Amino acid sequence: MARTRPHYGGTLRVETAGDPWQHPDGIARRLVYDGLTQLDSDGALRPALALTWESDGNNHRWQFRLRSGVHFHDGSPLTSAVVVASLTTSCSSECPWTAVKAVGPLVVFTSDSPMPNLPALLAGNAFLIGSGPMGDGNPTTRQGTGPFQVTGFNNGVLTLAANENCWQGRPFVDAVEIRVHRPVREQWLDLGVGRADVVEVPAEQLRQAQQQRLSVLTSPPLVLVALQVADSGTLANVKLREAIAAAVDRSALYNVIFQKQGEITASLLPQRLTGYSFLFPAGRDMNKAQELRGGLTSGPLTLATESDGAMQLAAQRIALNLREVGFNVQMAPAGANYADLILRKLQFTGIDRAASLEQVMRSAGESGPVTEATPMALFKVEQMYLGEKKLIPLLDLPLACARGSRVRDLHLRADGTPDLADASLEDVR
Amino acid sequence: MRAMRLIRAMALGLLGLAGLAACRAQAVPTPSRWSQPAADLSTQIADILGPGQAQVTIRNLSTIPPSEIPSVRKLIEQDLKAHGVLASGAESANSIRITLSENARERIWVAEVVEGSETHVAMVHVDVSMASVSTADARMVLRSERIAGLSIRIGGLVRNDPILAAAEINGHFLVIYPDRISIFSSAAGVWTEANTIMMERQLSRDPRTVLAANADGGLFTAYMPGTQCIGNYSLPMAGPSADSGWSVRCHASDDPWPVYQSGDASSATPLKAFYNSARDFFTGIVTPGIGVDLPPFYMAVMIPRAAGGAALLISSIDGNVQLIENGAMRSVAGTRDWGSDFAVVRSGCGAGTQIIASSSGEAENDSLRAFEIPALEALPASGPLTLDGTVTALWTAQDGKSAFAVVRSATAEYEVDRVTALCN
Repeated sequence: MARTRPHYGGTLRVETAGDPWQHPDGIARRLVYDGLTQLDSDGALRPALALTWESDGNNHRWQFRLRSGVHFHDGSPLTSAVVVASLTTSCSSECPWTAVKAVGPLVVFTSDSPMPNLPALLAGNAFLIGSGPMGDGNPTTRQGTGPFQVTGFNNGVLTLAANENCWQGRPFVDAVEIRVHRPVREQWLDLGVGRADVVEVPAEQLRQAQQQRLSVLTSPPLVLVALQVADSGTLANVKLREAIAAAVDRSALYNVIFQKQGEITASLLPQRLTGYSFLFPAGRDMNKAQELRGGLTSGPLTLATESDGAMQLAAQRIALNLREVGFNVQMAPAGANYADLILRKLQFTGIDRAASLEQVMRSAGESGPVTEATPMALFKVEQMYLGEKKLIPLLDLPLACARGSRVRDLHLRADGTPDLADASLEDVR
Repeated sequence: MRAMRLIRAMALGLLGLAGLAACRAQAVPTPSRWSQPAADLSTQIADILGPGQAQVTIRNLSTIPPSEIPSVRKLIEQDLKAHGVLASGAESANSIRITLSENARERIWVAEVVEGSETHVAMVHVDVSMASVSTADARMVLRSERIAGLSIRIGGLVRNDPILAAAEINGHFLVIYPDRISIFSSAAGVWTEANTIMMERQLSRDPRTVLAANADGGLFTAYMPGTQCIGNYSLPMAGPSADSGWSVRCHASDDPWPVYQSGDASSATPLKAFYNSARDFFTGIVTPGIGVDLPPFYMAVMIPRAAGGAALLISSIDGNVQLIENGAMRSVAGTRDWGSDFAVVRSGCGAGTQIIASSSGEAENDSLRAFEIPALEALPASGPLTLDGTVTALWTAQDGKSAFAVVRSATAEYEVDRVTALCN
């Protein structure tokens, strides 16, 4: 096949099982909004709404200079004041910075502690910039600077139109239609009969998708499945937390629940990023678990997940593992506000190890910066943090989607989501 | 002493030549590149363990060929011995587990030093470097030569910005990226970035550029979507200076872009084509008019015809390659697998002028191939030259005898290859 240049035009039909606006990684957010910085498809940091940035010598103060001539979809200009208002709304607490201010064309971040990874952290989905409401409400009022603008939401279909004046260039397709809350099984059926162009493939169904000969795009491992363990109440004793870590059978999760997709891990960052992941033993050790638990009684423990489906099955399997070494574990409903143990998915992006580590640790509720840079120093940070057994890494999973035959040049972004702005349609002339 | 050194140098030289010959035949271990990390890791291990005995095990989780592992092991054991750490059998109370690992960026060698129930970790990193080139042959041979040094490295990583166009002008290499023009100067045969002119302008998804220089190399014009940049050269001040001598000014412009004309196909008035900056193709409107309504196209070149005169060759956006000659537009057969860009080179072989086009067939990587179009069919004039990635841009060099191809590798790095056609 000749590699001809992509065509402009057409409507790309996308389906999702979730909410396209879900914070932070709903599929529509990246289409409508941009960040101050961005990661390219290889995870390298690039300018986005900010053209340049610099810090003082010790990374306590960063200033970002905005790209000129950028406008929101409603025609209003991008200004530092709007950026500050947006960031203040999206990050009200536990932010990587202490204060953010608009100083002329600059956005200035200050912090009591150093922020060496701030440019990389700002590329994350949590810090996208919008003018006006980005949360609940009428989707058509959402104003971003991204490649698509919202034009309507009818009968479960969110419609986006190409932003002709996008600072990154107009996207190839004229429009994107996102059918929301569509079960994965129905998405695949729609793809098969040509009613959808891009559909979701959860990690645990990757093998099935390949067997059905779907054209699947798969990211490297980007999602850490980990068990968050409360360090208070009955689990205040670190030996009990260590016993839980030793009792979990990662192999069963990997082989059975997640159908041998991704990698077994006991480290925060994957081998691909660090090269030292194997130093954290990931095998199950029932004897050690029983020895550590010894005569200690923990009382009944509750276990919850942030989502359902495979994560719910994985949580049930973990509960079984823990019961086998004498823990009394009860399942809490998915999404429960509090549980002693929560099975979570934490995402990391980019190739910057320190920034990725900080990203994961922040997601797990650890607010301090990661200032180390060398593999050895980062290993020690991980070793120290994981030694507390407040977070037990289990698996690294990829993200994936499947595309129809008329879609070309579809790639996954560094965060594993499909880059719809750079995709084009084969049958458009 | 000097004589001894001379003999040693000659011996090393002979060994080097022998090694080079062996390299061509098969990949052989090159243990010297492991000397430094082996020494560094051994030092760290010795600092942890002190003099004594330990069982040493090595496993390889990296892309280092298994054939090189014995060399690495030997180096590490020698270095450990120099620090008083002797490799022993399983009976030793101490053990050193060495893992040759790697991540996406670099190789990492890790030592787990086990003393009784305590385990200490030592770690060193080794830069990964790799390179490969390929050529092809036929009755006419295409040869590609990578222009080294045009990749910009930041913090040891290649900055993977798309290269839109490049040209060697007045002893400098001008490279156009979506957001800047970089001027490279040659120092000791390697191009290094001398200065950069940033362009803050609206970007496009599939940006194109035409770079045209005047004959004496004192002026260039870069045509970009919505923007035109003009560069003037003046001799830099005497003495060492980082200044390349080029000054560049950019302004908004919708002026038509020049269409490349082979030297043996030039007409009195150069043809220019209007470009649609919002859709990244030429509209089909050319000036001066040629009496035929052209469809929108991605690429156009003037080529000489065997019967005399010149014809316009375009790749229209519907994927067809069309030849416009004598007031008529006709499809060219044999171009089904061509990419959107092509270049014209005056090789002096065969018909004298060939069209170099990219294609991929079923292969992962693109290839380039020379064609001649004696009538209305493109006939291969060379074998395919397989490249190390996909061709994202292709155009004729200033000399008209070679072409430049921008190749995007599997690792998303952009390189410029100079492609020449040699008679066989």
